[in-house]
Amino acid sequence: MTQETKTATNISAAAEFTRPLLLTPAEDLRGYVLGYTGRGLTLLITFVSVMAVFLIFLFVIRETVPFIWLDTLKASVARLHHFLSSSEWYPQADEAEFGARALIVGSLYVTFAALIVAVPVGLISAVFLSDIAPFKLRQIIKPVIELLAAIPSVAYGFFAIIVVAPWLQRVFGFPTGANILNVSMILALMAVPTIISVAEDSLSAIGREIREASYGLGATRAETILRVVIPAAHSGIIAAVILGMMRAIGETMVVLMAAGMAAQIPSPWWNLSQSVRPMTATIAQEMGETPKGSEHYFALFAVGLVLLVFTFMLNMISQAFLVRFRRKGQQA
Amino acid sequence: MNLAFRGYKDKGFTAIAYFCVLLLGFLLLVVLIPMTGRGLSAVLFRETVEFRRMQYAIFNRGNEERLRAQVARVEEARRPIYELLDSFARGIDTESQISRVRDIFRRFNEELRLQNVSDESYTELRGKARHIRDLLTEAYTSTDREEVSKLLDEVLAFAESPGLKGAAEQYFEMARSYSKTIKQMDLADRQRYAAQLSEVTEAIRDLFGPRPDEPMPPLAENQFGATRWDLVQRYLRRLLYSEQWVQTDPAKPMEKKLVCRTDPKQFGGTELEPLFGMVESSLDELFLPRLRIYWQYFIDDSTPGYFFGGVGPEIFGTLLLTVCAMAFAAPLGIVSAAYLVEFGGDSRIVRLIRTCINTLAGVPSIVFGLFGLAFYVMLIGRPCVLAASLTLGLLVLPVVICASEEAIRGVPQTYKEASLALGAGRFRTFATVTFPAALPGILTGIILSLSRAAGETAPILFTGAVFLGPIPNSLFDKTRALSYASYGIATGDKVGMTMPHQQYGVVMTLIALVLCLNLAAIAIRWRISRKLKGY
Repeated sequence: MTQETKTATNISAAAEFTRPLLLTPAEDLRGYVLGYTGRGLTLLITFVSVMAVFLIFLFVIRETVPFIWLDTLKASVARLHHFLSSSEWYPQADEAEFGARALIVGSLYVTFAALIVAVPVGLISAVFLSDIAPFKLRQIIKPVIELLAAIPSVAYGFFAIIVVAPWLQRVFGFPTGANILNVSMILALMAVPTIISVAEDSLSAIGREIREASYGLGATRAETILRVVIPAAHSGIIAAVILGMMRAIGETMVVLMAAGMAAQIPSPWWNLSQSVRPMTATIAQEMGETPKGSEHYFALFAVGLVLLVFTFMLNMISQAFLVRFRRKGQQA
Repeated sequence: MNLAFRGYKDKGFTAIAYFCVLLLGFLLLVVLIPMTGRGLSAVLFRETVEFRRMQYAIFNRGNEERLRAQVARVEEARRPIYELLDSFARGIDTESQISRVRDIFRRFNEELRLQNVSDESYTELRGKARHIRDLLTEAYTSTDREEVSKLLDEVLAFAESPGLKGAAEQYFEMARSYSKTIKQMDLADRQRYAAQLSEVTEAIRDLFGPRPDEPMPPLAENQFGATRWDLVQRYLRRLLYSEQWVQTDPAKPMEKKLVCRTDPKQFGGTELEPLFGMVESSLDELFLPRLRIYWQYFIDDSTPGYFFGGVGPEIFGTLLLTVCAMAFAAPLGIVSAAYLVEFGGDSRIVRLIRTCINTLAGVPSIVFGLFGLAFYVMLIGRPCVLAASLTLGLLVLPVVICASEEAIRGVPQTYKEASLALGAGRFRTFATVTFPAALPGILTGIILSLSRAAGETAPILFTGAVFLGPIPNSLFDKTRALSYASYGIATGDKVGMTMPHQQYGVVMTLIALVLCLNLAAIAIRWRISRKLKGY
């Protein structure tokens, strides 16, 4: 009796499973087509990033062309030459002058001044995180550095102009607190997290074996790090430095608020209490009050293009170093 | 090399490394503490009765009866101060006194006309009034005490004459109080007193707001006195001390020196001297301070110019911008990441895509702003929330892609294999197994991108942010945002000079928002890593 019911339920359960396990050719084809269209669609969506980069270049160049192209080739070359070699930036004057050299120099100046501080501090901190810090300490420090990176740039700018600038004026007696020293200190603070995270990744990617081989030969920890680990990770570290540089050169709000906005090339060059006017700050300040389609408007796009090309090249170089680093890692 | 020396070198290196990391932690505190600390004072502070008045007038908040009682109490306490000030001003501020004399004459004339007196007596009374007017005017203009008292006696001689009633009686009141004043004060110093008195009047006005008998000023920022205890202290300092620039050494720049107002060179020995002690000793009575947690700071609108009120519209605008940006970036980013993980090998297309994502991540934020201006704004026709959030969406797209990719890659291969072995297709496996397993990681990435988008200022500068403006009704309006407000309020000097806590408050709100999002992301990530370890 019980045996029979059991068989019956088994049979009915089997009977509910009506769908044939083999696909018909039509279903097979449908699945095939669906799979490929799905794949194509996702590829299309993924291509939005490619499109975005393409469009950014296209539109920035498109708005730059009216500034550079002046009917004849000779005039255009002269305009380009003037743009890159003159430091007379007087966009509002009757005889408007658009010489962007002071702006470019200003950007590079604050960037390198920031890197002088940020690179040693960032690299040593990265080494600390990868080789020296005990595990628990690292669990605390990493979020702290993330927070340092997360603070919005406008908050750093606010800090620079409201807190640091009066302090500099009071302590060092500078005529203005909005100067290169102020901006580079803040930019250094902003570039450090980028440098740490990339450099730490590449230092950690260097295997344990290399370190242990070095220790086995009797080297101290400092010697191992300086002579073995850092040379092995050098391409990753270079990439880290370049990425930190990109962060500093593309930074807008801090330099807009605290660089002093004087379109000049600092002279003497070592005097950090002078004001400069980096490219990003110039665009941010002047674009708002420029009528669309004026020469000034196009000139600002030209400055933006210079900036874009700069960061694009830096990015390519850093990516090349990172790729090299990964390849080497694979070979090892 | 010497073994000991190598050991020292090693220790030294470790010490430098510890120092660098400690320095970073210290700098983080140096940046955060002053800003959040002073920003908190926008929310937590001692309010005065002026603050309660402002809250009632602008935000219709508070108990009307209790407020009225408090205002009455405070006005009662302030009256002697105003009286003292007025009676002192009588000897100093001659112009307003003279114009008051003229005013009295005019009113007296009108009264006469209405009184219906005979022509003869009208002419006579009018002549008398005019004579008194001229005498008083002369008395106020003169600086010679003898002459003034003679003129005043002459005026007071008319006091008993019939007919000079009504408005004319005020003549004699003025003359009496003036004759009292000249006994205490050297009239030659009038000029000096006048300048100092105007400083004092201004400080009193900053403290107490407009006088009760004065018409209300049109601008809200002038309608109230010191609304907070720290402002009371600051204005009180201005009332009690006069700032003077003195040259101590010809070779050095002038130095700022504070001179007490009760100093003989200021108001020492005059009728006004007790005023300062009066204000200082009865501050509690004058302001009725009370500790306040002004949590409505986060929902209130500010009066134009960020003087009073809070950052409600800015928070709303920032949330609107970031949420719209994520609505654009999150689906795109997740699908892209899924493609790169599931289908992407190392083909040429995938390499191109990766290069482009890296490039996009490296484009400076201001160039995103330029692109938004040249593309989205041109497409839509004007700067608006939509253009700004699409620009921000593009900015955070690489962040979303990278975070999602990492999360999807982190799902153990066995999960997928189990699903595939059960006969599920690739899409079904992704949708029902991989994606849910990767969801916490993806969420972390999205939260981090939200915080990044909330903090960015440069891309929204020209694409849809305003410093002052109404709350947006649709995606096609401009909006205020915390980040843009932080920039505007830091460079606008007037708010900073008078209301620094408002400046810090905006930045504090922005930092708090961003850090909360980041801490949430860190917490989620910590839980995931615990789960992966199998706790």
